[in-house]
Amino acid sequence: MSSAGNPSEADPKATEAQRQDFRRVALLDAMRREGRAWADIAPPCGVADPEPPWKTCLDATCECLDAGGALPSLDRRLAEDALAEAMYGDVPNPERQLLALVHTMLSRGLIGEAELARRVGIVRSRLAA
Amino acid sequence: MPPAERKSLPARFEPGDRVRVKELPNLYYSRTQMYVRGVIGTVAVCTYTDLKPEDEAWSRDDAPYEQYYIIRFRQKDLWAEYPFDKDTLQTELPDSWLEPVTA
Amino acid sequence: MAHDHDHEHDHDGGHPAAPMVAEVTDFEILEIAVRELAIEKGLFTVDEHRKFTEWAESIGPASGSRLVAKAWTDPAFKARVLADATKASLEVGIDWSQPTGFGTPSDYTEFRVLEDTPTLHHVIVCTLCSCYPRPMLGHSPYWYRSPNYRRRIVRWPRQVLAEFGLILPPEIEIRVEDSNQKCRFMVLPLRPAGTEGWTEQQLAEIVTRDCMIGVALPRADRKADDVRPVHAALRPVPHEEAGR
Repeated sequence: MSSAGNPSEADPKATEAQRQDFRRVALLDAMRREGRAWADIAPPCGVADPEPPWKTCLDATCECLDAGGALPSLDRRLAEDALAEAMYGDVPNPERQLLALVHTMLSRGLIGEAELARRVGIVRSRLAA
Repeated sequence: MPPAERKSLPARFEPGDRVRVKELPNLYYSRTQMYVRGVIGTVAVCTYTDLKPEDEAWSRDDAPYEQYYIIRFRQKDLWAEYPFDKDTLQTELPDSWLEPVTA
Repeated sequence: MAHDHDHEHDHDGGHPAAPMVAEVTDFEILEIAVRELAIEKGLFTVDEHRKFTEWAESIGPASGSRLVAKAWTDPAFKARVLADATKASLEVGIDWSQPTGFGTPSDYTEFRVLEDTPTLHHVIVCTLCSCYPRPMLGHSPYWYRSPNYRRRIVRWPRQVLAEFGLILPPEIEIRVEDSNQKCRFMVLPLRPAGTEGWTEQQLAEIVTRDCMIGVALPRADRKADDVRPVHAALRPVPHEEAGR
C-alpha cells in the first residue's frame, strides 16, 4: 500500500468509490485469514453477549475520527460497505468493521502500515505480559 | 429524508390491499426475510420512498426510489400449525418485492 | 481476588467465576493499536475518546419513558406521536435527523410508535440484524441482539414472552413488528391501573425499557430504579464493626 503515509496523493475531488483502495494489506489479510472472531470464541466459553467488550471502544474511535474531521462517518461507512463486499466479507462483525476501518485509515494515510505493524507487536507483548 | 426531486416509481398499493411477497432469488443482498416470501399479507401503512436495499447495497444511487410499505401478515399464514388465530406480524417491504393478489 | 471456598455463593467472588473469554484475539490487539496510533498522531485525544465511550455506555431509555408518560397524560401529544412520531420526538428532546451517530448510523430513519390497546399487544424485533430505536431507548439489551430472541420471537412469540414472565390470553392479538428496513419502532404500552392522578414524572419511572420493547407491561408497583440486589458480606470488613 504505497499511498499509506502520503495523504497528498489523494485527490480531494475524487469520489469515495474512485478513491477506494482494494490493495491487500499483509497485516490485515493475515488477521482476516487467521484471526479468531468473537462469534466463534464466545459461545464455547458460555458467553452470551453477541459483541466483544472492545466494540464500544471501536465505535468511539469511529466517532472521534468523525468529530475531528479525519474520517467522516459517511465516508467510513461507504468504504466499509465496499471493502466488505470486495475483501472482508468472510469476517463477521464487528471484526469486519474494524478491518475496514483500519484499511481505510491506511489508504487515507492517517496511519502507516509499518508503524501499525510495530504497534500491534507492542500491544501484543504488553497484553501477554 | 430522501430529496423530493428524486425520481420515484409510482406506489402501486395502498392500505388495505392484499399483496403477495415475491419469491425472488437473493442477488448477494436482500432485506426481505425468507419467512415472508410467497406469503400473502395486507398493506397496513405506506411509509416512505427510498432506494430498495438491493440498489443501496451496490451504491446504485441513480436507481429510482420506491414506495415502502408496512405489511401485516397473519401468523397462521406464515407458520404451519400456528395455534393462535388473532396473532399477526408486521414487516416492511419495498414495492418491487410485492405483487397484487386479485382473487 | 481472594478465593473463598463457599460453593453455595458463586455470585460473591467465589468460584466458579462467571463465564468469560480468556483469549486475547488479534482483533482486540488491532483495536488497541489503531486507537493508540490515532491518539499519538493527534487525530483525537484520550479524553475525547473517553467522553464517547462513557456516553455510549450510559445512554438509557429515559427519553422513551418520558415520551410514554407524556402520551399517557396529554391526549394531544399522543395524537401527534401516532401521526408523526419522528416529529413528536422533538418534544422530548430527540432529533432523529441528528441520530446518536454511534456505531453505524442509518442515513435515514423514520420513527413509529406502536400503540397497545386492551386487545392488541406489540413486541419489536429485528430478525436480520439488531435495529433498535437507539436515540429513544439507548443501547439494546444483549438478548435483543441474540439469535435466540431474533429467531424465536417471530415464530413462537407467546412462548418467548412467557419466558420473560409475560403471559397474555389468546383473545389479545400479539403483533410482532420485525424492523427490517428504515423504520424504527417503540411500543406505547397501556397505562396501568393504580396510576390515576400521577404526574408525568411518576409515570415515567414505571415505564422501563422492556415495556417499550414489548416483553413486559408497566406496573404501578415496579419502577426502573427499583430495588437492586444487595448481598450482605459474608465476612464484613472489621472497620464497619468498629464504626458502630
